[in-house]
Amino acid sequence: MPPKNQTHRIDDLLGSVTEELLLGNPQQFEDNSIRVERLLLEMVRPDPVQPRRVLPEQLHFAFHNNRLTPTQALKELVQLVQVAARQRGRPFNNVLELLPNPDDESDEDQSVHLSPEEQLLHDLVNLAVTIRDDGQVNPLTVVDVSQGVTQQFRIETGERRYWATWLLRDFIAGYEGDGMIPCIIIPTERSSVFRQAKENTARSGLSAIAMARQAALLVLTVHGYEIPSHAVTNDFYRQALELDLRSKREYTEAVLSAMGGIKRGQFSYIKGLLRLSDEAMELADRHAIEEGRLRYVTNVAPEYHTEIVRQIIDFNLSSKQVKELCAGDGLDAADRDDKVEHLPASAVKLAKITQASNTTSAQDLAQAMLRQEGDASLARARLQAMRKLLTEAERYLTGD
Amino acid sequence: MTRVFVFTNHKGGVGKSTSATNTALGIAGMLRRAGAPNARVLLIDTDSQAHATLVTTGTKEYGTDDSLYTVLMADRQNAAQTLLNCIVQSTWDADLHVLPASPMLEGAERELMGIAGAPYRLADPLSRILNRYAAIVIDTCPSFSLMTEMGLIAATDAIVPVEPRYLETVGLMSVIGKINDIREGWRQPNLRVSGILVTKMNTRIRGHNHLLDELKAHSVLGKLLLGVVPANEAVSYAHQNHQSIFNYDPKASASKAYAQFVGKLVQRIAKGGV
Repeated sequence: MPPKNQTHRIDDLLGSVTEELLLGNPQQFEDNSIRVERLLLEMVRPDPVQPRRVLPEQLHFAFHNNRLTPTQALKELVQLVQVAARQRGRPFNNVLELLPNPDDESDEDQSVHLSPEEQLLHDLVNLAVTIRDDGQVNPLTVVDVSQGVTQQFRIETGERRYWATWLLRDFIAGYEGDGMIPCIIIPTERSSVFRQAKENTARSGLSAIAMARQAALLVLTVHGYEIPSHAVTNDFYRQALELDLRSKREYTEAVLSAMGGIKRGQFSYIKGLLRLSDEAMELADRHAIEEGRLRYVTNVAPEYHTEIVRQIIDFNLSSKQVKELCAGDGLDAADRDDKVEHLPASAVKLAKITQASNTTSAQDLAQAMLRQEGDASLARARLQAMRKLLTEAERYLTGD
Repeated sequence: MTRVFVFTNHKGGVGKSTSATNTALGIAGMLRRAGAPNARVLLIDTDSQAHATLVTTGTKEYGTDDSLYTVLMADRQNAAQTLLNCIVQSTWDADLHVLPASPMLEGAERELMGIAGAPYRLADPLSRILNRYAAIVIDTCPSFSLMTEMGLIAATDAIVPVEPRYLETVGLMSVIGKINDIREGWRQPNLRVSGILVTKMNTRIRGHNHLLDELKAHSVLGKLLLGVVPANEAVSYAHQNHQSIFNYDPKASASKAYAQFVGKLVQRIAKGGV
């Protein structure tokens, strides 16, 4: 008997029975509501383009490019933190040692300054222990992105809880769960960049860089750009620098509201942070430097961004100090163009000053700097910038 | 809660695999037509002969790392993920997913014998992915082995396909008794005998008609009768061509009977009741 395969007629047959079934209550199967379900942890994945990143950048990309499993990513994070902690003289073997010992009263008075990685792991361990002791009270918000036999849910909010649960499952003793995590499942068609932005900006601790990425996602979305489902570099977000909200006035209010009700000017400043170099962005994000201190850094040439951000971190510079540091003539990008025949006045002035180096003592210079800047930190930052400039100038002389 | 239908009868050749495969496809098709947001159905083949696997996926070349055997042998912690990894899409329909059987399953029974919690090795991981499917259909082997026990423990609804012959109907009460033993013995309050499906019915044979009448008149079994599928050569031709009966010949009497039967199950899925 030859194959018949009457695919078109199967629908007629099943359809006639379905119609009988639906008589009287055609909506009985349609359910597009938001539901809460417990999902297998492995079915849930963080959003690769989520502006608020939990893992350090290197691990973020390795994980989202499927080079690391969640357990491996956490293992790498723990190792990273172990190295950082050892360098600071507080080594640990078990992640639980990161939490203060409730029996040790001497701990209470010590205010230890943790590195961003230590702080991250500390917070995750703390959250994991809370989940272990009190259960996961607040479900994650996820979007069903299952395709074919691959069942997957993309986290819209709650990535920290996701990592804390993995940490609890694989790194902390006493886990008695079944590898499931409670989630609010949002139908794919109801998933929205705007809602994610509102959720993000409504919570504390969103760094200025994360806000800049969030602004970029919103601008790109309203301009019809497709938001990819894989990890993207900063260049993807930087496309938003070429776009503005003026041509999309109908979305302006929604965008600003999703960004936490900020003003248009503030939005521009935040979006402008995407001009920072990759390394500077990573540093600023990890150390959660505020927009007010970062906005001036974008005025100088990109090769100086990392250095200035480092100075902001090392010397805890205020926004006023950063403004002054970045306003220095010697750091203006345009002035450094050696193709310009006319040398800038600032360069000529600096060259002359170098002649005075033999007639000036270091102590006098330090005092003069202190008087000029009014603050030792800013003076040190100025000297560092000068040192860098001189080193580079020397390189030009050697190379020529 | 997702309904898990298990087709079971310790007698061979009564149409368990045919009924399980066509029911799984029918549920997916009907739910989709009804506009259900989730029309995915998972078919689990627990029979080492892998007939259901063969007809729904076009092959039975599944082994130690991509079949039900893999799931049963996995660590408890990784079993659910392993289960997800082993599921394949059926060639019949995108919404029909299959957890394939493997000839290795025969050995699995011996390997699992004596291991604590062995009968739960399917139910446990399945419970963690259950809500991802609108329904789950389990095909069992023709014996009350450990594998069948696993299928029953994982199920909510047992459906007993039976041929209208004297010895088969005599054994029907013992099948139902076995299912009730599993329900009580393994403390599975969700498991119930949900229906009897008479297969290979030939109205020209007087004995078939007589037994069907007796079945209908029986105080317990009569209430459980869910459908009567006529003997139809289209069924075997559909098997030969690795097609569902609905696809092979939608006008065949067996197709219509299966569609009516599936319709009753879909109603139960929608209502969430008996």
